[in-house]
Amino acid sequence: MVAAAVLVVLLVGVLSLKLAQLQVYDSATLAGLARANTVHRVVLEADRGIIYDRHAVPLVQNTPVWNLEIVPADLPADARGRAAELAAIAALTGQPEDGLHAVLGVADPFTPARVGPDLTDAQVLAFNERLPALAGVSLAHHAVRTYADPMTFGHVVGYVGPLDDEDLKRLRPRGYQPDEVVGKVGVEAGLESILRGTNGWADVEVDARGQIVKTIAMQPPVAGHAVYLTIDASLQSATAQALAAGLQRDHKTAGASVVIDPQSGEVLSLVSLPGYDTNLFTHGISHAAYNRLVTDPDRPLLNRAIAGQYAPGSTFKMVTATAGLQEGKITAQTLLGCPSYLSYGGWVYHNWASYNLGYMNVAKALAVSCDTFFYQVAAMVGDVTLARYARAFGFGQAKAIEMPGVQPGLVPDRIWKQLQCDAPDLNSDSCRWTLGDTITFGIGQSALLTTPLNQAVYAAALANGGQVLQPTLVYQVRDAGGEVISTHQRQVVDSVPASPANLEAVREGMRQEINRPYNMNYWFRSAGVPADGGGKTGTAQWGGSGLDLPTHAWFVFFAPYSQPDVALSVFVERGELSEVEAAPIGVQIMKFFNGSRAAIHTATPKALA
Amino acid sequence: MRAAVWNRLDHLQPLLAGMLVALGLMTVYSARADWMRQLVWVILGAAAYAAATAFDYRRLRALAPWLYLAMLAMLISVRLLGRTTLGAQRWLSVGGFPLQPSELSKLMLVLVLAAYLSRLDRISWRAFIAAIGLVAPVAALILLQPDLGTTIVVVAVAMGMLFLGGARVVQLGSVAACAVVVIPLLPHLLHGYQRRRLEIFLNPNSDPLGAGYNLLQARIAVGAGGLFGQGWLHGLQGALGFVPERATDFVFAVFAEQFGLLGSLLLLAIFGTLLIRLLRSAAAAPDRFGALVAAGVFVMIFAQVVENVGMNIGLLPIAGIPLPLISYGGSATVTTLAALGLVQSVTLRRPLLLRPQAGWSGNITVRAQA
Repeated sequence: MVAAAVLVVLLVGVLSLKLAQLQVYDSATLAGLARANTVHRVVLEADRGIIYDRHAVPLVQNTPVWNLEIVPADLPADARGRAAELAAIAALTGQPEDGLHAVLGVADPFTPARVGPDLTDAQVLAFNERLPALAGVSLAHHAVRTYADPMTFGHVVGYVGPLDDEDLKRLRPRGYQPDEVVGKVGVEAGLESILRGTNGWADVEVDARGQIVKTIAMQPPVAGHAVYLTIDASLQSATAQALAAGLQRDHKTAGASVVIDPQSGEVLSLVSLPGYDTNLFTHGISHAAYNRLVTDPDRPLLNRAIAGQYAPGSTFKMVTATAGLQEGKITAQTLLGCPSYLSYGGWVYHNWASYNLGYMNVAKALAVSCDTFFYQVAAMVGDVTLARYARAFGFGQAKAIEMPGVQPGLVPDRIWKQLQCDAPDLNSDSCRWTLGDTITFGIGQSALLTTPLNQAVYAAALANGGQVLQPTLVYQVRDAGGEVISTHQRQVVDSVPASPANLEAVREGMRQEINRPYNMNYWFRSAGVPADGGGKTGTAQWGGSGLDLPTHAWFVFFAPYSQPDVALSVFVERGELSEVEAAPIGVQIMKFFNGSRAAIHTATPKALA
Repeated sequence: MRAAVWNRLDHLQPLLAGMLVALGLMTVYSARADWMRQLVWVILGAAAYAAATAFDYRRLRALAPWLYLAMLAMLISVRLLGRTTLGAQRWLSVGGFPLQPSELSKLMLVLVLAAYLSRLDRISWRAFIAAIGLVAPVAALILLQPDLGTTIVVVAVAMGMLFLGGARVVQLGSVAACAVVVIPLLPHLLHGYQRRRLEIFLNPNSDPLGAGYNLLQARIAVGAGGLFGQGWLHGLQGALGFVPERATDFVFAVFAEQFGLLGSLLLLAIFGTLLIRLLRSAAAAPDRFGALVAAGVFVMIFAQVVENVGMNIGLLPIAGIPLPLISYGGSATVTTLAALGLVQSVTLRRPLLLRPQAGWSGNITVRAQA
């Protein structure tokens, strides 16, 4: 009896000692494990900023989608329960079980891994019912970008996509998580740091099934800034329609057009065709659809407006004219011949006409686009000076517009020719700049390259008296509360070193070209658009050999003549006759512009003013 | 006469039992179990306690053979008709109520062994083996359910009663020696799935994500309690379901998380005092049968407290045993309270001349009283 009492005291003592060890000595460690059990940190995704047009028309929305998330460590511990649960998940998502195993195989066991595609509403309902029976599984909702009219706005707005390994390496220090998205192209990429908000976090208490019981502490997310583009949505649509209609009429497949405000540098529309459905990228593009886009010979993924580099052809002649006038080689009254060809150093250089057009001044030479006139001017000015004027007009300069992938074009000169020459002796004849190079340079050929955006800036400079403006796509940035963060300020990048009188002589040539008696006036008359402005077409040769001498068609334009408020460029890839293929597109754009001029120039978004 | 009855009662014992029941209800409530149902069991248990106290325990001695047969019948019927939950066949539906015969059989075995041992002055080898023979089928039937925890308790009750009943250390030692020889052979005598279950019971590491996980989570909850505990209803590990079987096998971990080391020691102190109280009742019993009943109830509760708390804090391997009066469960609660009532019945009927203190005055073996 006493022995039993002693045993009671003894065993209770042993239990007490062990309890003291757990609850005092090991308490801190075990309490830490307890906290790890119950308190999880979750990231609260910040809403990405909305992109609007200049009148607060939203061009993208954040739409909620539901995904299935699995915390591998919270799946049933026994193999049979685990297999049964994965089979159930596979059945509910309609996804092969192998795919689940593949995702879970590489996932971190303690963080939720997103599995499977976006869920349909019916699937969300089905999962909500089954969720209590599925350990470690939860439904998470994410905001996905849905773009408005992506075929029209896609090349401007761009799209977001998941971070690839390279992005992650670059952006990890800035707090990006592996499951986040980042702007890939267009404004989404160019303004990534503005559009992306700051993610918040919450420390939540979860039960043993992984369900959130309550929130202990949180840092709310800060939404990204809203961006109001300079783009006018209706003008963008009209531009795209005019371009598409023009391309279709002439059986062409690709082209671009940029409309710009020549006083402010605001890009009012920027279209590259063909477009593509950017929503495919945010909602999960299939391998086949992606391959189709990449292998399409019309290259829909190429934004020709900013990244397509083509010879400007005759649209370059205003630079040659300006250089000749300003350098004193010719005056506005100087008459030069316009024969059907000229020969330099044994080579024959043709005019577009096979007959002699007679003597003419520079304005008429521009209006009839006489090649042989400008051969002579280019030869007088020389390649070095001509290149200087070309650069002053913005050729060969990358326009730092708010999207990645802008190409600068190219202004060739004798140094460039030697540097890119692949002959072993850089002083050999094939590497040397020739007079032939100079005179073809003078009509926008040689190795000269430009982009539709550059051409619009060039047209704007001709419109506004020689100021090369910084083009911009962003009118205003506001924070989530509507406070204005920044508004676009006009910025002059360069000024053309030419007197107003000389520039006026060049503009006069552009005015004549679109007026009677010249053919192009027909397009204005037939469309009912006043030919009050200046325009220039260009049909540029590029590559090819023998009988296949492919061309691109250009049209640059500004209006009205005295106080221009619009400048534009039209580009038709493989266009054969610019007066017939490119110019009518510009006229159609102007027809819409004239109809809504006041509305387009009302820059302040009314909806938020 | 009424006053005489009142004065004869052990007042501390029901008070301690009441404290345990109250703490048990609080813990069961905090563990999100059906505390109302448990309250009903407690009330039924209190009625059983009162009835057992009023009942003259001596009349049970004559009923012992019938009790024994009833116990075997009950355990066999659970093999044949019982409901299977969590891979074990332990439940019998009696008039719509789930009944766990193995819980009842603990007390019945106490009565049967007390009746048998009370007939003997000294425990010969022959009597010792006969007693083992009485216990063996009961233990085997419970082991086959399988319910290792209750089997351990049954064997502990038998050994403890034999020891307190006067068996010699050599006799008990020989049983231990036999166990050492037989236990390694046991797996080979069982069917495949039974062997598997037994292996898991005997070696939790064979299923680290199952039993090992349970053990770890229970220890985490106990440790998270610290010195003063998280406070009643503020124990997250228990409430959020990280502690497995939080209202039954691992109820102690849930308790320790909320009430800390101080609460745990208080609980152990209450159990300790209650156990000493039961020993006193045994010592003061009017006859050898009564003393053996009280001793048996003592061993029954003692074994369960040690094993349950021990497994909750990682000192002993996991076996499904409730913590008496704390764990959720009707059969166990009613059985334990009825058992305590029987001990009270023994105390109530002790000879008037024998003061309780006298029980402690010497090496009082139960044999000397007979």
